[in-house]
Amino acid sequence: MNLMPSCKDVRENLTEYMEGKLPLSRRMGIRIHLMMCKVCDGLLHTLQTLPTFAKEVLRAPAEAPAEAKETYDRFLKNIRETSKS
Amino acid sequence: METPNGTHVLERAINGDSDAFGALVEPHLPMFYNAIYRILGDRADSQDALQDALMAIHRDLPKFEGRSAFSSWAYRVCINNALMVRRARVRRKEDAMEDLVSQNPDEGRPMDADASLRWSTDPDAFNKIEHKEMREKMMAVLDKMSDAHRVVFILKDLEDWTTEAIAEHLEISASVVRQRLHRGRLFVLERMRPFVLGRPT
Repeated sequence: MNLMPSCKDVRENLTEYMEGKLPLSRRMGIRIHLMMCKVCDGLLHTLQTLPTFAKEVLRAPAEAPAEAKETYDRFLKNIRETSKS
Repeated sequence: METPNGTHVLERAINGDSDAFGALVEPHLPMFYNAIYRILGDRADSQDALQDALMAIHRDLPKFEGRSAFSSWAYRVCINNALMVRRARVRRKEDAMEDLVSQNPDEGRPMDADASLRWSTDPDAFNKIEHKEMREKMMAVLDKMSDAHRVVFILKDLEDWTTEAIAEHLEISASVVRQRLHRGRLFVLERMRPFVLGRPT
């Protein structure tokens, strides 16, 4: 058995590696691979920064879009009418 | 939350004051809808989920005990309603997920040099393109992602749910959550990377 994983093996397992869910031997193999492979190490870094990037890109706009306002206005109108009756 | 005349807005809203309810909800409407739309990616579904969420917030307001901020509590209600709408609907799309790993066998060799570029989140990356355009691109990428991968990616990387909580909610194993998350991340990364970094000419 080859203890040193290939780039493909590493790329398939980086999320499990990040969550610390791999057995020790596989974790160590990936860690050593990452120390020697700039490409896979770069991918790990990218995966680590992805949530921050996605949150920034998909943050809520200052104003709700028209369809949200429309739904909200309709709902508010309904509860006003219900409370009157 | 106190108004200038000292009346408690939450209490008034609980007692059926629709203006007070509006004062509670309206400032957070962009955030609530954004959370719903990120999960569902469809305007009609998102409107349905928002309406359901508003009804649930209105109905359950008396149960809100104020242990957390109103916005946090209501946000959670919105997420739950988006997930309920998602569960109820039949997603038309076929699984468009490409198996990036298997399609790019490397036989143990590194990826091409372009792939070695680290994806920077520094301001320069954002300067390359307007935020609005970047957001549209990201939404388009999410729209192409299969529903199963999308919901895991959103809940984990945007909503910060734990893997275990996602597994429990979706009734799948934690291992499957991690697999879907990984594929979802690669799917996003592969499609957003050229947009962020640009391709060498």
